[in-house]
Amino acid sequence: MMRARAGLAVLGLTCALASGCARVGRMAVDEPQRPPQDLAVLLPDSDGTVGRATVSNASGATDLSEARAATRISRNQAPSAATVLTDADVQREFGDALSSLPPVPQSFTLYFQFESEDLTPESKALVTATLRAVKERPVPDVLVVGHTDTTGPAALNFQLALRRAQTVRTLLMAAGLEESAIAVASHGEAQPLVPTPDNTYEPRNRRVLITVR
Amino acid sequence: MMVLGVVLAAMPADAQPSRAIGRVKIATGNAFVVREGTSMPATPGLALLETDSLKTGADGRLGVSLNDDTRISLGPDSEARLSRYRYAPAEGAIALVLNFIRGAAVYASGQIAKLSPDAVRLETPAAIVGVRGTTVAVRVDPE
Repeated sequence: MMRARAGLAVLGLTCALASGCARVGRMAVDEPQRPPQDLAVLLPDSDGTVGRATVSNASGATDLSEARAATRISRNQAPSAATVLTDADVQREFGDALSSLPPVPQSFTLYFQFESEDLTPESKALVTATLRAVKERPVPDVLVVGHTDTTGPAALNFQLALRRAQTVRTLLMAAGLEESAIAVASHGEAQPLVPTPDNTYEPRNRRVLITVR
Repeated sequence: MMVLGVVLAAMPADAQPSRAIGRVKIATGNAFVVREGTSMPATPGLALLETDSLKTGADGRLGVSLNDDTRISLGPDSEARLSRYRYAPAEGAIALVLNFIRGAAVYASGQIAKLSPDAVRLETPAAIVGVRGTTVAVRVDPE
Protein backbone atom coordinates (compact mmCIF):
# COMPACT_ATOMS: atom_id res chain seq x y z
CA MET A 1 0.00 0.00 0.00
CA MET A 2 2.84 2.38 0.84
CA ARG A 3 4.25 1.64 -2.58
CA ALA A 4 0.99 2.48 -4.31
CA ARG A 5 0.83 5.82 -2.54
CA ALA A 6 4.36 6.62 -3.59
CA GLY A 7 3.41 5.79 -7.17
CA LEU A 8 0.50 8.23 -7.04
CA ALA A 9 2.71 10.94 -5.63
CA VAL A 10 5.13 10.52 -8.51
CA LEU A 11 2.32 10.71 -11.05
CA GLY A 12 1.08 13.89 -9.38
CA LEU A 13 4.50 15.47 -9.65
CA THR A 14 4.76 14.54 -13.31
CA CYS A 15 1.41 16.22 -13.80
CA ALA A 16 2.58 19.44 -12.21
CA LEU A 17 5.62 19.54 -14.51
CA ALA A 18 4.11 18.45 -17.78
CA SER A 19 1.24 19.89 -19.75
CA GLY A 20 -0.56 16.55 -20.18
CA CYS A 21 -2.33 16.68 -16.81
CA ALA A 22 -5.61 15.21 -18.02
CA ARG A 23 -3.85 12.22 -19.50
CA VAL A 24 -1.68 11.53 -16.47
CA GLY A 25 -4.68 11.93 -14.18
CA ARG A 26 -6.72 9.43 -16.16
CA MET A 27 -3.95 6.85 -16.10
CA ALA A 28 -3.60 7.29 -12.36
CA VAL A 29 -7.30 6.44 -11.92
CA ASP A 30 -7.09 3.42 -14.22
CA GLU A 31 -3.99 1.83 -12.76
CA PRO A 32 -3.14 3.45 -9.49
CA GLN A 33 -1.58 0.63 -7.50
CA ARG A 34 1.40 -0.92 -9.17
CA PRO A 35 5.16 -0.52 -9.37
CA PRO A 36 6.80 0.31 -12.73
CA GLN A 37 5.93 -2.31 -15.26
CA ASP A 38 6.69 -2.76 -18.95
CA LEU A 39 4.10 -4.01 -21.39
CA ALA A 40 4.83 -5.81 -24.66
CA VAL A 41 2.08 -6.63 -27.15
CA LEU A 42 2.24 -8.62 -30.38
CA LEU A 43 0.29 -6.90 -33.15
CA PRO A 44 -0.72 -8.14 -36.61
CA ASP A 45 1.45 -6.89 -39.46
CA SER A 46 -0.04 -4.52 -42.01
CA ASP A 47 -0.90 -7.47 -44.28
CA GLY A 48 -2.81 -9.15 -41.45
CA THR A 49 -0.30 -11.89 -40.69
CA VAL A 50 0.75 -12.43 -37.10
CA GLY A 51 4.38 -13.21 -36.31
CA ARG A 52 5.87 -14.30 -33.03
CA ALA A 53 7.77 -12.62 -30.26
CA THR A 54 9.55 -13.89 -27.20
CA VAL A 55 9.84 -11.63 -24.18
CA SER A 56 12.56 -12.73 -21.80
CA ASN A 57 14.76 -11.67 -18.92
CA ALA A 58 16.95 -13.37 -16.34
CA SER A 59 13.87 -14.75 -14.50
CA GLY A 60 11.96 -16.31 -17.40
CA ALA A 61 10.40 -15.99 -20.83
CA THR A 62 6.93 -15.64 -22.37
CA ASP A 63 6.04 -16.41 -25.98
CA LEU A 64 3.56 -14.18 -27.77
CA SER A 65 2.02 -15.90 -30.77
CA GLU A 66 -1.45 -14.51 -31.41
CA ALA A 67 -2.82 -11.09 -32.29
CA ARG A 68 -2.76 -8.69 -29.30
CA ALA A 69 -1.13 -11.27 -27.03
CA ALA A 70 0.54 -9.31 -24.24
CA THR A 71 2.86 -9.76 -21.31
CA ARG A 72 3.62 -7.42 -18.42
CA ILE A 73 7.07 -7.32 -16.97
CA SER A 74 7.92 -5.94 -13.54
CA ARG A 75 11.54 -5.15 -12.76
CA ASN A 76 13.36 -8.28 -11.55
CA GLN A 77 10.43 -10.60 -12.22
CA ALA A 78 9.69 -13.04 -15.01
CA PRO A 79 7.36 -11.74 -17.75
CA SER A 80 3.71 -12.55 -16.88
CA ALA A 81 1.84 -15.32 -18.68
CA ALA A 82 0.43 -14.11 -22.01
CA THR A 83 -3.02 -12.52 -22.00
CA VAL A 84 -4.92 -11.22 -25.02
CA LEU A 85 -5.78 -7.52 -25.04
CA THR A 86 -8.87 -6.09 -26.73
CA ASP A 87 -8.63 -3.68 -29.66
CA ALA A 88 -9.77 -0.96 -27.25
CA ASP A 89 -6.88 -1.77 -24.87
CA VAL A 90 -4.41 -1.54 -27.73
CA GLN A 91 -5.87 1.77 -28.92
CA ARG A 92 -5.78 3.22 -25.39
CA GLU A 93 -2.15 2.23 -24.81
CA PHE A 94 -0.74 2.65 -28.30
CA GLY A 95 -3.24 4.60 -30.42
CA ASP A 96 -1.00 7.67 -30.63
CA ALA A 97 2.10 5.66 -31.52
CA LEU A 98 0.22 3.51 -34.06
CA SER A 99 -1.19 6.59 -35.79
CA SER A 100 2.38 7.86 -36.28
CA LEU A 101 3.77 4.69 -37.83
CA PRO A 102 4.95 5.55 -41.38
CA PRO A 103 3.09 3.79 -44.22
CA VAL A 104 4.34 0.36 -45.26
CA PRO A 105 7.18 0.67 -47.78
CA GLN A 106 6.24 -0.32 -51.30
CA SER A 107 8.63 -2.41 -53.39
CA PHE A 108 9.15 -2.88 -57.11
CA THR A 109 11.44 -5.51 -58.56
CA LEU A 110 13.04 -4.78 -61.93
CA TYR A 111 14.77 -7.57 -63.86
CA PHE A 112 17.86 -7.40 -66.05
CA GLN A 113 19.07 -9.26 -69.08
CA PHE A 114 21.98 -11.69 -68.60
CA GLU A 115 25.33 -10.04 -67.73
CA SER A 116 23.83 -6.78 -68.86
CA GLU A 117 22.79 -3.43 -67.48
CA ASP A 118 19.65 -3.42 -69.67
CA LEU A 119 16.23 -3.93 -68.13
CA THR A 120 13.84 -6.50 -69.49
CA PRO A 121 11.01 -4.75 -71.41
CA GLU A 122 8.36 -5.64 -68.77
CA SER A 123 10.49 -4.05 -66.08
CA LYS A 124 10.80 -0.73 -67.89
CA ALA A 125 7.08 -0.19 -67.34
CA LEU A 126 7.53 -0.41 -63.56
CA VAL A 127 9.48 2.84 -63.53
CA THR A 128 6.18 4.70 -64.02
CA ALA A 129 4.54 2.75 -61.18
CA THR A 130 7.45 3.65 -58.92
CA LEU A 131 7.03 7.34 -59.68
CA ARG A 132 3.34 7.10 -58.84
CA ALA A 133 4.12 5.54 -55.45
CA VAL A 134 6.65 8.26 -54.75
CA LYS A 135 4.09 11.00 -55.39
CA GLU A 136 1.65 9.46 -52.88
CA ARG A 137 4.01 9.92 -49.94
CA PRO A 138 4.63 12.96 -47.75
CA VAL A 139 8.45 12.64 -47.42
CA PRO A 140 9.34 10.04 -50.01
CA ASP A 141 12.72 8.46 -50.26
CA VAL A 142 13.71 5.76 -52.63
CA LEU A 143 16.25 3.01 -52.11
CA VAL A 144 17.63 1.26 -55.16
CA VAL A 145 19.50 -1.99 -54.44
CA GLY A 146 21.19 -4.03 -57.16
CA HIS A 147 21.45 -7.83 -57.08
CA THR A 148 23.03 -10.43 -59.36
CA ASP A 149 22.85 -14.18 -59.71
CA THR A 150 25.86 -16.24 -58.59
CA THR A 151 27.44 -16.58 -62.06
CA GLY A 152 31.04 -15.32 -61.84
CA PRO A 153 33.16 -13.97 -58.97
CA ALA A 154 31.42 -12.22 -56.07
CA ALA A 155 33.55 -9.07 -56.40
CA LEU A 156 32.57 -8.58 -60.04
CA ASN A 157 28.96 -9.25 -59.16
CA PHE A 158 29.10 -6.55 -56.51
CA GLN A 159 30.19 -4.10 -59.22
CA LEU A 160 27.62 -5.36 -61.73
CA ALA A 161 24.82 -5.05 -59.16
CA LEU A 162 25.98 -1.51 -58.37
CA ARG A 163 25.94 -0.55 -62.07
CA ARG A 164 22.44 -1.99 -62.38
CA ALA A 165 21.27 0.08 -59.44
CA GLN A 166 22.86 3.18 -60.95
CA THR A 167 21.10 2.47 -64.25
CA VAL A 168 17.78 2.43 -62.42
CA ARG A 169 18.62 5.64 -60.60
CA THR A 170 19.28 7.30 -63.98
CA LEU A 171 15.91 6.08 -65.26
CA LEU A 172 14.10 7.40 -62.17
CA MET A 173 15.81 10.77 -62.50
CA ALA A 174 14.95 10.93 -66.20
CA ALA A 175 11.34 10.31 -65.15
CA GLY A 176 11.44 13.30 -62.84
CA LEU A 177 12.63 12.08 -59.43
CA GLU A 178 15.15 14.25 -57.58
CA GLU A 179 18.59 12.73 -57.09
CA SER A 180 18.63 13.68 -53.40
CA ALA A 181 15.63 11.40 -52.77
CA ILE A 182 17.42 8.35 -54.17
CA ALA A 183 19.95 6.15 -52.37
CA VAL A 184 21.82 3.46 -54.29
CA ALA A 185 23.37 0.27 -52.89
CA SER A 186 24.70 -3.08 -54.08
CA HIS A 187 24.08 -6.37 -52.36
CA GLY A 188 25.99 -8.26 -55.09
CA GLU A 189 25.17 -11.95 -55.16
CA ALA A 190 24.72 -12.12 -51.35
CA GLN A 191 20.93 -11.85 -51.25
CA PRO A 192 19.44 -14.03 -53.99
CA LEU A 193 15.67 -14.02 -54.39
CA VAL A 194 15.94 -17.70 -55.30
CA PRO A 195 18.69 -19.43 -53.28
CA THR A 196 21.15 -21.24 -55.57
CA PRO A 197 24.64 -22.79 -55.38
CA ASP A 198 27.57 -20.65 -56.59
CA ASN A 199 27.94 -20.10 -60.34
CA THR A 200 24.27 -20.62 -61.12
CA TYR A 201 22.51 -18.86 -64.01
CA GLU A 202 19.21 -17.60 -62.52
CA PRO A 203 17.31 -14.77 -64.22
CA ARG A 204 15.13 -14.16 -61.15
CA ASN A 205 18.21 -13.17 -59.14
CA ARG A 206 19.37 -10.54 -61.66
CA ARG A 207 17.29 -7.73 -60.33
CA VAL A 208 17.10 -4.31 -58.81
CA LEU A 209 14.79 -3.80 -55.90
CA ILE A 210 13.29 -0.33 -55.62
CA THR A 211 11.79 0.47 -52.26
CA VAL A 212 9.66 3.57 -51.85
CA ARG A 213 9.37 4.73 -48.25
CA MET B 1 15.24 22.20 -22.84
CA MET B 2 12.88 22.58 -25.78
CA VAL B 3 14.13 26.12 -26.45
CA LEU B 4 17.69 24.75 -26.46
CA GLY B 5 16.63 22.16 -29.02
CA VAL B 6 15.38 24.85 -31.38
CA VAL B 7 18.52 26.97 -31.02
CA LEU B 8 20.73 24.04 -31.90
CA ALA B 9 18.62 23.05 -34.89
CA ALA B 10 21.05 24.70 -37.31
CA MET B 11 23.37 21.68 -37.01
CA PRO B 12 24.04 20.03 -40.38
CA ALA B 13 22.02 16.92 -39.73
CA ASP B 14 22.31 15.77 -43.34
CA ALA B 15 26.01 16.51 -43.61
CA GLN B 16 26.95 12.84 -43.85
CA PRO B 17 24.14 11.11 -45.72
CA SER B 18 26.29 8.00 -46.26
CA ARG B 19 26.06 7.23 -42.56
CA ALA B 20 22.30 7.79 -42.48
CA ILE B 21 20.41 4.73 -41.22
CA GLY B 22 16.94 6.13 -41.87
CA ARG B 23 14.79 9.23 -41.84
CA VAL B 24 12.11 10.92 -39.83
CA LYS B 25 8.80 10.52 -41.69
CA ILE B 26 6.14 11.84 -39.37
CA ALA B 27 6.53 14.35 -36.54
CA THR B 28 3.87 16.25 -34.64
CA GLY B 29 4.07 18.39 -31.49
CA ASN B 30 7.31 18.30 -29.52
CA ALA B 31 9.39 15.60 -31.21
CA PHE B 32 13.18 15.50 -31.08
CA VAL B 33 16.20 13.59 -32.24
CA VAL B 34 19.00 13.58 -29.64
CA ARG B 35 22.45 13.11 -31.17
CA GLU B 36 25.54 12.93 -28.95
CA GLY B 37 23.77 14.89 -26.24
CA THR B 38 22.35 17.55 -28.54
CA SER B 39 18.62 17.77 -29.08
CA MET B 40 17.25 18.86 -32.47
CA PRO B 41 13.64 19.10 -33.70
CA ALA B 42 12.62 15.95 -35.55
CA THR B 43 11.46 17.46 -38.82
CA PRO B 44 10.19 15.10 -41.54
CA GLY B 45 13.08 14.19 -43.82
CA LEU B 46 15.77 14.52 -41.11
CA ALA B 47 18.43 11.82 -41.54
CA LEU B 48 19.01 9.50 -38.58
CA LEU B 49 22.33 8.09 -37.41
CA GLU B 50 23.20 5.05 -35.33
CA THR B 51 22.98 5.83 -31.57
CA ASP B 52 20.46 8.65 -32.10
CA SER B 53 17.63 8.81 -29.58
CA LEU B 54 14.06 9.61 -30.51
CA LYS B 55 12.13 11.64 -27.96
CA THR B 56 8.68 13.17 -27.65
CA GLY B 57 7.10 15.66 -25.25
CA ALA B 58 3.58 15.64 -23.79
CA ASP B 59 1.93 16.45 -27.16
CA GLY B 60 4.55 14.83 -29.38
CA ARG B 61 4.46 11.92 -31.80
CA LEU B 62 7.18 10.61 -34.04
CA GLY B 63 7.43 8.07 -36.85
CA VAL B 64 10.67 6.99 -38.55
CA SER B 65 11.67 4.45 -41.16
CA LEU B 66 15.09 2.80 -41.37
CA ASN B 67 17.07 1.69 -44.44
CA ASP B 68 15.89 -1.93 -44.19
CA ASP B 69 12.18 -0.86 -44.04
CA THR B 70 11.98 -1.22 -40.27
CA ARG B 71 9.50 1.35 -38.95
CA ILE B 72 9.37 2.77 -35.44
CA SER B 73 6.91 5.19 -33.91
CA LEU B 74 6.52 6.86 -30.54
CA GLY B 75 3.49 8.21 -28.70
CA PRO B 76 3.65 11.24 -26.38
CA ASP B 77 6.20 11.44 -23.52
CA SER B 78 8.25 8.63 -24.97
CA GLU B 79 11.88 7.87 -25.69
CA ALA B 80 13.71 5.16 -27.63
CA ARG B 81 17.34 4.80 -28.72
CA LEU B 82 18.61 3.42 -32.06
CA SER B 83 21.49 1.79 -30.19
CA ARG B 84 22.91 -0.37 -32.95
CA TYR B 85 22.19 -0.60 -36.66
CA ARG B 86 23.98 -2.56 -39.38
CA TYR B 87 22.42 -3.26 -42.76
CA ALA B 88 25.06 -4.47 -45.19
CA PRO B 89 23.99 -7.99 -46.19
CA ALA B 90 26.77 -8.26 -48.82
CA GLU B 91 29.29 -7.97 -45.99
CA GLY B 92 27.26 -10.20 -43.68
CA ALA B 93 26.71 -7.30 -41.30
CA ILE B 94 23.17 -7.20 -39.97
CA ALA B 95 22.06 -5.93 -36.58
CA LEU B 96 19.32 -3.88 -34.98
CA VAL B 97 19.19 -3.05 -31.29
CA LEU B 98 16.51 -0.67 -30.04
CA ASN B 99 16.26 0.47 -26.44
CA PHE B 100 12.81 1.51 -25.31
CA ILE B 101 13.47 3.91 -22.46
CA ARG B 102 10.00 5.22 -21.57
CA GLY B 103 6.52 5.69 -22.90
CA ALA B 104 4.78 3.96 -25.79
CA ALA B 105 6.44 2.74 -28.97
CA VAL B 106 5.64 0.51 -31.94
CA TYR B 107 8.21 -1.53 -33.88
CA ALA B 108 7.27 -2.93 -37.29
CA SER B 109 9.88 -5.29 -38.68
CA GLY B 110 11.78 -4.84 -41.94
CA GLN B 111 14.37 -6.74 -43.98
CA ILE B 112 16.75 -7.27 -41.05
CA ALA B 113 14.17 -9.33 -39.16
CA LYS B 114 13.44 -11.23 -42.37
CA LEU B 115 17.10 -12.02 -43.14
CA SER B 116 18.18 -12.77 -39.60
CA PRO B 117 15.55 -12.69 -36.84
CA ASP B 118 18.22 -13.20 -34.17
CA ALA B 119 19.89 -9.98 -35.27
CA VAL B 120 16.96 -7.97 -33.88
CA ARG B 121 16.83 -7.11 -30.20
CA LEU B 122 14.25 -4.83 -28.63
CA GLU B 123 15.24 -3.98 -25.08
CA THR B 124 13.15 -2.51 -22.28
CA PRO B 125 14.47 -1.83 -18.78
CA ALA B 126 12.98 -5.15 -17.62
CA ALA B 127 13.18 -7.52 -20.60
CA ILE B 128 14.40 -8.27 -24.09
CA VAL B 129 11.92 -8.85 -26.91
CA GLY B 130 13.00 -11.20 -29.68
CA VAL B 131 10.91 -11.12 -32.85
CA ARG B 132 9.98 -13.42 -35.68
CA GLY B 133 9.08 -10.93 -38.41
CA THR B 134 6.35 -8.97 -36.78
CA THR B 135 4.93 -5.84 -35.23
CA VAL B 136 5.36 -5.29 -31.51
CA ALA B 137 4.11 -2.51 -29.28
CA VAL B 138 5.99 -1.73 -26.09
CA ARG B 139 5.15 0.53 -23.17
CA VAL B 140 7.72 1.36 -20.54
CA ASP B 141 6.62 2.91 -17.24
CA PRO B 142 8.71 5.68 -15.80
CA GLU B 143 10.85 4.45 -12.86
